[in-house]
Amino acid sequence: MSHLLSIIIAAPFVAALLLLPCRSTDRLLMRWISLLGSLVSLTGSLIVAWRYDIKAGGLQMAELYPLVPSLGIDIRLAVDGWGVSLLLLTGIIITTGVLASWTLKDREKEFFALLLILVAGVFGVFVCQDLFVFFLFYEIAVLPMYLLIAIWGSSNKVADAGPFRFIWKLFDIGGREYAAMKLTLMLLVGSAFILVAVIALYQAAGAHTFDMGVLGAFKYDASLQKWIFPLVWLGFGTLAGVFPFHTWSPDGHASAPTAVSMLHAGVLMKLGAFGVIRIGMMMLPEGAHAWVWAVGLIAAINVLYGALSAMAQKDLKYIIAYSSVSHMGVVMLGAATLTQGGWNGAVYQMFAHGIMTGLFFALVGLVYERAHTREVGKMGGFAQAMPIVAAFFTLGCLSSLGLPGTAGFVAEFLVFAGAWSGPHLWWALPAVAGAFITAIYVLRVTRDVFWGPGPSEQFHDLLDARKTELGALWILGTCIVLFGLWPRLLLDYIDPATTQNLAMATQTAQLTPTPATAVAAQAPPPVAPPAATAAVAHAAAGGGR
Amino acid sequence: MNPLISAALVALGLPAALALLLAVVPKLRRTGKPAALLSILGSLLALSAAGWLAATWLHDPKQVLDLTTSWLPQSGKSMSQVGVHLDGISVSMLLVVAIVASCVQLFSLGYLSDEPAPALGRYYAYQSLFLFSMNLLVLAPDLMQLFLGWELVGATSYLLIGFWFTRPAAGKAALKAFVVTKFADSGLILALITLVAWTGSFSWNATLPAGGAEWLALFLFIAVMGKSAQFPLHIWLPDAMQGPTPVSALLHAATMVAAGVYLIVRADPIFAAAPHVRLFMTDLGAITALFAALIAMVQTDIKKVLAYSTCSQLGYMISGLGAGSLMGGYFHLTTHAFFKALLFLAAGAVIHAVHSNELSDMGGLWRKLKFTTVAFVIGSLSLAGLPGLSGFYSKDLILEAVHESGNPLALGLLMATAGLTAFYMTRTVVKAFFGKPSHAAEHAHGPGPSMTIPLLILLVPAIGLGWLAGPMSKLYGRSYAFHLDTIGMVTIALGLGGIALGWLIYGMGLLQALPRAFAPIARIANGSTVDDLWALSYSKLGMGLARAIAWFDRYIIDGLMNFLGWLFMWSGQRVRTLQTGNVQDYLYAVFGAAALIALWGGWR
Repeated sequence: MSHLLSIIIAAPFVAALLLLPCRSTDRLLMRWISLLGSLVSLTGSLIVAWRYDIKAGGLQMAELYPLVPSLGIDIRLAVDGWGVSLLLLTGIIITTGVLASWTLKDREKEFFALLLILVAGVFGVFVCQDLFVFFLFYEIAVLPMYLLIAIWGSSNKVADAGPFRFIWKLFDIGGREYAAMKLTLMLLVGSAFILVAVIALYQAAGAHTFDMGVLGAFKYDASLQKWIFPLVWLGFGTLAGVFPFHTWSPDGHASAPTAVSMLHAGVLMKLGAFGVIRIGMMMLPEGAHAWVWAVGLIAAINVLYGALSAMAQKDLKYIIAYSSVSHMGVVMLGAATLTQGGWNGAVYQMFAHGIMTGLFFALVGLVYERAHTREVGKMGGFAQAMPIVAAFFTLGCLSSLGLPGTAGFVAEFLVFAGAWSGPHLWWALPAVAGAFITAIYVLRVTRDVFWGPGPSEQFHDLLDARKTELGALWILGTCIVLFGLWPRLLLDYIDPATTQNLAMATQTAQLTPTPATAVAAQAPPPVAPPAATAAVAHAAAGGGR
Repeated sequence: MNPLISAALVALGLPAALALLLAVVPKLRRTGKPAALLSILGSLLALSAAGWLAATWLHDPKQVLDLTTSWLPQSGKSMSQVGVHLDGISVSMLLVVAIVASCVQLFSLGYLSDEPAPALGRYYAYQSLFLFSMNLLVLAPDLMQLFLGWELVGATSYLLIGFWFTRPAAGKAALKAFVVTKFADSGLILALITLVAWTGSFSWNATLPAGGAEWLALFLFIAVMGKSAQFPLHIWLPDAMQGPTPVSALLHAATMVAAGVYLIVRADPIFAAAPHVRLFMTDLGAITALFAALIAMVQTDIKKVLAYSTCSQLGYMISGLGAGSLMGGYFHLTTHAFFKALLFLAAGAVIHAVHSNELSDMGGLWRKLKFTTVAFVIGSLSLAGLPGLSGFYSKDLILEAVHESGNPLALGLLMATAGLTAFYMTRTVVKAFFGKPSHAAEHAHGPGPSMTIPLLILLVPAIGLGWLAGPMSKLYGRSYAFHLDTIGMVTIALGLGGIALGWLIYGMGLLQALPRAFAPIARIANGSTVDDLWALSYSKLGMGLARAIAWFDRYIIDGLMNFLGWLFMWSGQRVRTLQTGNVQDYLYAVFGAAALIALWGGWR
């Protein structure tokens, strides 16, 4: 039994423990401990990717540690192709996140310790195969956020004009305590839903185990599935920013400190989408089948609604935060198609958006630190003072709007194609429109912040990226281009895993038996693109293996 | 590996490697001149590779070579291939791009000599990136790779239009160009996902379901309208002139805007099966041609004249392809690439000399800029379709094809445009190079060798390419025989008439009533009308909707959440008052409850 996966999870945790005895004056030491902890995880993830046998596929590098035998709770770890991709993403984001917060100057010990504990939870979720421990890791990942935002966060100073200003004052909207509380409460309500679902699944299976393999193979009663699925969807969906439970995200991400925004928008939101697919769609196929129309509809709303909201924002961080709501809609849309392309795209988008939004928040934090304002209208001409930041911001924008050659394109295109060959053709249209609207607002922001005549007197201490920040930017920027130019780097892992996972999600679904066409067969079908047939074909192929 | 394939990979890979090098090694980029020379060397090597390929294909036009590898796996199979596809069409385009790109890169060295070194290095990084992207598009084995190149050239166009990013106008133009073309590109995305849903691949040769070709052609044509600046999506092209003039020559005249035309040529099997869309193309192309020519008549900025002229000529190409003449459309793309690049670079030499784009700041320049004048006049005559020059032959092919397709309306519009073209180019030539010199023109200085050599090179095809229509047609796999019929004669007459009229009005100062009579027509057709409509729909509809949604999100959706939170707090406050701390109160409650229970028990 290899211990690679447990090492990946444990490394940040151990680093957090090592931070405790440090004196608060050992600033550099604490940073290096955090960086090393992250690097161990990142290296571990790379080794996992290296060792993972693509041809064999399935779950590999399994580990098993009994936890509560009487209830059938064990720490079961294993990765499939999805896990490999998401481990890599998490490793990259935490490493760059630590690099980006190198200059943080307030209670570093607690900050880095909480950050590392949080990320240990994230690693855990992506490789855990035991439902109870999955939930445990999920909570570990979600809870430290409250402190991280409430203590190290920043408050929004871009006031909203108009007759409703008093509401901002009343609730302290934009304040960091408000944002932290809102985020935590909304996510906790989601967790409550998930807990109910977890217990229900455990009880209904009656196998006295939380092993997700066993639970996944169990055929739950169709009516049970139909009411548990929405619990899972809304529970995890809240974290994925599903409309209308997304409102924690703009406030939370805007108030959070740089590294926390990076991790939260970059990785944590993916936990939500991952949970919906992994627990909801794969373990409750009939429930999923009954509800995907709603999942897709809401996701389509998410894409457009998030993009349009972003377009009207005046605060730099809010723009990026709303763009996350929009882009996570793409993930959920891909998931809802229940097609090979859609799921490939969903997982690819988790990765691509994670990297991209990580880059964005790193840059936005950097700009905020130097400009002392987040109000786009006041900025302008920053490219002359910070050309490297401007260049990376442009790259992030191009990926955000789905430019070919960047990771964002591959993901979005796969989702478009998946939706177009799925049962609900029209889902592709809002997704395509969302990409166009994204182009408008991200490029407008680039112009408003970085282009134009030189920065005004107010911005006298604009500084280009420092060494550590530069490291973070280069890592993230390289990933965007690398995984955009050569998508097979990830798709070779994702695609076979999708085939197998999709087989679980469609095994009992009552799909109309039409002759398999499209990708499966050579003969071209009649005018309308085939409905769910492609999915059926893949399911059959995957199931046969 | 086949040496021909290797040559194609050099043309593709070398600019990519140079762009990457200049991007990731800031020290090199910031040296300016060395970075520029490196990029120019790369383009020249790409040119020699392309030249060798073209020579080989002229020898054996039927040859087809492919080298592809899986790019996008799905369900264990390859959904999309990337690599190079070499046939007569791609090889000829590769050569056109390489020639114009090399000339432009060389020209830029002189034109941008006043730029600070880091900016110059950045410019050449963009130029190399553009050459790679364009070659990626040209060599595409399927529609997916074509789309990759298509979007990348759009992005480099954005970067190059915004090269002088401190100018607010440049920022605005770059943004507009990207957003308008991106809007149109949604059509290409729809085409791609439809194609893959139907056939499981992105090949333009795939068998389509009955009636499917019309849909695909329509989707594709929407993208073409954006990239090739067809009415009403042409609005970005005139603004794109905010970029440096060599950029306008390369991207916004010779190659990138012609990518739409190239797409139609490549996807010929799809368009051939879509007669309705082709009819639409013929008409829209003709309308664009006339509309843009009318606007070009009243422009006072030399680059804007050329920009609208490019719109107009692209209209010709689209119209010709719509009429089913691949030879005409594609050949006009080729000749236009050369004479329009020549015109733009000559205009660049003029702008460099007088430091202004305005025609009123020029005049009488022929004394100072003799060679530039010759180049611009020959380019104009080629554009106007003077017999013997290359523009004449390609334009004639299009007019014949439109005539044969039985579309008298489009034919009439296109022939009228031919006359107008000759007229507005004469106007431009006279205003810029003849007449009374302006103050700036008296202090004009001639271009250096790095600027005259590209002009010299481009003069050759601008004059003589028309005579090579026969060999070129073999590359395209079409037949060609030149014959002059009535249509051709009338067009020549119209062209000569336009030149004569232009000379009478602007050269000799006669018939001044005529331009005044034109003015209202042009004003109605003026670009700003269409522009205003788009701007209005963006600022009112788009932003209005966005603001409404953002408001809804903040006050309704989020308001509900806040209300929920407030409700819990409020009820907590209320319920808390029950807990008074008085023992008496609690005893009252206990006994009261006991009494109620007893009462309820007794009643049962």
